[in-house]
Amino acid sequence: MRAANWIHTLPMKLRALFERRRVESELDEELRYHIQCRTEENAANGMSANEARREALIAMGGIEKAKEECRDQRGLSFLESAWQDLRIAARGLLMRPGFATVTILTLALGIGACTAVFSVVDRVLFRSLPYPQDEQLVSFGVKAPFEGIEFMLAPEYNVLRTQPGPFQSMTSLTPGGADCDLTEQNPMRLSCALVESTFLSTLGIRPVVGRDFTRDDDQPKAPRVALISYGLWRARFGGDPKAVGKFLSLDDKPVEVIGVLPASFEMPTLSAADVLLTQALDESAFDRNHPRVVLRAFARLKPSMAIPQATAALQPWYQDSLRFVPPQFRAEVSLRVRSLRDRQIEDSRVGAWVLLGAVIAVLLLACTNVANLLLVRAVGRQRELAVRAALGASRGRLIQQTLTESLLLALLGGAAGCALAYLLLRLFVSIAPEGIVRLQQASLDLRVLGFCVGISLLSGILFGVVPAFTRPVPESLAGKTVRTMARGFFRYALVAGQIAGSVILLTGAGLLLRSLWRMENVPMGLEAQRVMSAQISLATHRYPDLPQQFAFYHDLEARLSRVPGLEQVAFSNSLPPSGGMQATFLASIEVAGKPKFSEGTGGMVGYRSVTPNYFPALGIHIIRGRAFTKQDRAGTESPVILSEALAAKLFPNEDPLGKTMRYTAGDAPGPWRIVVGVAANVKNNGLTSDADPEFYVPWKNEPGTYIRRAFLTFRTSLSPATVAPWVRTEIAALDPTVPVQIATMSERVSKLTQRPRFDATLLSLFAGIGVVLAALGLYGVVSFFVSQRTQEIGVRMALGATPRNIAKLVLRNVAGWTLGGAALGILGAWFCARLLQSLLFEVKAHDPTLLVTALLILLGVALIAAWIPARRATRVDPVVALRYE
Amino acid sequence: MSKPSDLVQGTLDMLLLKILALQPMNGFAISQRLRQVSGDVLQVSDGSLYPALHKLENEGWIKAEWKTTDNNRRAKFYSLTRLGRRQLEKEAENWSRLAAAISSVVKLEET
Repeated sequence: MRAANWIHTLPMKLRALFERRRVESELDEELRYHIQCRTEENAANGMSANEARREALIAMGGIEKAKEECRDQRGLSFLESAWQDLRIAARGLLMRPGFATVTILTLALGIGACTAVFSVVDRVLFRSLPYPQDEQLVSFGVKAPFEGIEFMLAPEYNVLRTQPGPFQSMTSLTPGGADCDLTEQNPMRLSCALVESTFLSTLGIRPVVGRDFTRDDDQPKAPRVALISYGLWRARFGGDPKAVGKFLSLDDKPVEVIGVLPASFEMPTLSAADVLLTQALDESAFDRNHPRVVLRAFARLKPSMAIPQATAALQPWYQDSLRFVPPQFRAEVSLRVRSLRDRQIEDSRVGAWVLLGAVIAVLLLACTNVANLLLVRAVGRQRELAVRAALGASRGRLIQQTLTESLLLALLGGAAGCALAYLLLRLFVSIAPEGIVRLQQASLDLRVLGFCVGISLLSGILFGVVPAFTRPVPESLAGKTVRTMARGFFRYALVAGQIAGSVILLTGAGLLLRSLWRMENVPMGLEAQRVMSAQISLATHRYPDLPQQFAFYHDLEARLSRVPGLEQVAFSNSLPPSGGMQATFLASIEVAGKPKFSEGTGGMVGYRSVTPNYFPALGIHIIRGRAFTKQDRAGTESPVILSEALAAKLFPNEDPLGKTMRYTAGDAPGPWRIVVGVAANVKNNGLTSDADPEFYVPWKNEPGTYIRRAFLTFRTSLSPATVAPWVRTEIAALDPTVPVQIATMSERVSKLTQRPRFDATLLSLFAGIGVVLAALGLYGVVSFFVSQRTQEIGVRMALGATPRNIAKLVLRNVAGWTLGGAALGILGAWFCARLLQSLLFEVKAHDPTLLVTALLILLGVALIAAWIPARRATRVDPVVALRYE
Repeated sequence: MSKPSDLVQGTLDMLLLKILALQPMNGFAISQRLRQVSGDVLQVSDGSLYPALHKLENEGWIKAEWKTTDNNRRAKFYSLTRLGRRQLEKEAENWSRLAAAISSVVKLEET
């Protein structure tokens, strides 16, 4: 049909499609009118009324025949036949609800899981960062054992700044930023970041309103200026452009707003930042002999400069700067330049790839299943297609019809998949740990959805249409099922592939689950039951010095001791099992009467200031000596309690009690301390890393003490929900502006396993889906085998085969393929497990027990899936079977 | 079949288009006009007229609408579309070329 005509006749065709009845009645009326006129004419020519009508009908040659020819002339329009096919397809699916449900479910699982996971992973791995030419941005600095992220000492950074080598521009920020309080009518705690004046220009960001920092703003004596976040601008100034030039009162000091950051702005460290302030470092910070300021450095590479080249180009500077590094450090530090993305997704990367791999496996499993189901279905339709062809349906028409059915299935599956993807994504976001980069922004990605739907459509079309292309065999007209060996082979190969994929998924999930179990049961050295903690941080401007801070905690302790239900109220400036305690090096600890430890740094040693109740509150055992007492908090003596590990390091084969030690924090060594006790080791570096040796000093005002941020810990037999408001009230009574985060110890611990739990949950989910899909595939293939060979089975039984023989016949056929697939799966699992290694804790990637378990599970499921149809085969009545076809 | 054997294939289409080019007509009137203009040479049975009309409509060459006739009855009136007019010109041209060719062939045999 020509295109031009098509447009003109479309309205008519649509009418034919949707107003079939009306079109029919019009045809009827038209022909009746003609007969009437002819009858009248005949009558006028002198015929009798009956005669006239009879002649008219004869001339027409039969009304129904004429109508039929009119309909034929119109032909079936494409739309009409499509509509017809659609109805046939829908009817066909409704007639086989099992087939339809399984296919649609399979597609939905594949599409849903794939889209949801990819939407998450895409943000982590592939989507560009919100900076122009983000591939040029790098994070660089020194990598040292005591700090996971590369850092720079300010003097060395300053040297590089004059000769930026491979960089177009470089910038830095002060790590950790700073809490700062907006001290105006409505006080608010904000996150402030201290950055170099080149910060925005290096990232390639411009303020939406106002100006960027200049070099002059970054001078130590310059008036303080700030760039504020878009959110703060809207909240504080209602988005008024005149906000520029106004003053904010930050920690009681006026700061001029000079610009507003774009709404999409994010810190390269991904930390929150409401306000950017200049670092304003003075000359003393750049003294190479006394480095005291640590920076995080970022840079934009020169175009066409790659990271390895840049690293090489930095070597001279790095070697030079090593001269200023204390000798014991030199062997343990290295230069690191890496892309900003790598820095941001550090620990999300492996997990993200694993999820992606798992979900692609699931999608492949789903596709093979659909292919298998459609192939099976197609064989069942040989006869129908042969009959249609014999009745004159053209090849094209047959293809169109099969295609319609495949498409209908794929679309239904796709729709269900969309819904599932949406639900899964919601689920992921709700169970995901905080650390996953940009997960909150993850939304259903339409491109991905399109891709997944496309893949499944393609597999549906491919395998749905294949049978329509093969010339229908005349034999099938007789109702004989024509066995096509080639495709049978293909089907089994698909099932074997599915089994292999499932074994891999199962093993992976098993590894993660086992590692999670290990992690959750790792001995922490403390009792988390019924322990609650509250993190408190005091604002600098309200509590500038230690005496005010101690006074606050003292008052709080007094108040809390009057609250019923709280026992063992303790304070400490850090809390296990997560890291974040104060730390020094083993080499900086001196033991009286012993030479200093001198090989390298000796590793990190953590320390905490704690009140006497700290040990009973957390259930940490004092192995030798005593815990702190009230006198220790006030006295002039400086007692110390060592962890078992530290005691063993400092005093091997000696009794540490009564010995003295001191450590250097800052410039001068601290006071000599007497060891009064040894405490059991406690996990203090997260659950998976080895614990660092640590020691405890009493909670008292000594130089170097840091208690601006502190933890309140107590035991209670009341429910956390009851106690938490009481604690909040007491703190608010002292100072309502102090932010408090209350959590039970168990919550704090489980937060550490959140990430592995997330990974393990998802992978188990996918493994489960994979096994179900493989079982469905196997079931389908075996059922098909049985139904195809019903006659043969009948003959065998008539000739004396026992049900046992029959079951053997059916299962033997499957067993080979299943075992082959399983073997392939083990091989694959062996390779894939290595990729998981970095996610595992105390579990070897190649764990034979796990592999065997996965294998047994799968073989068990396979056996059940094959057994059901096999049993059906043994129940075949020979008489019925012989007449079957 | 009800197709007149002496009607060259495709001619009926052209005849119908030509008749409708003069004025919109209903089916019965068309059949009367066919008899009238071709002087009963071209016999088109009533039964084959309507499929032909429906085919033309399907092709988009004519369009139909319901109107009242002179004697106040409702009938389906067909009229030529723009596409139909173009088609008619094309077929008429083809026809005269064919007719010329045939007649020259016929003449050739006579001499």
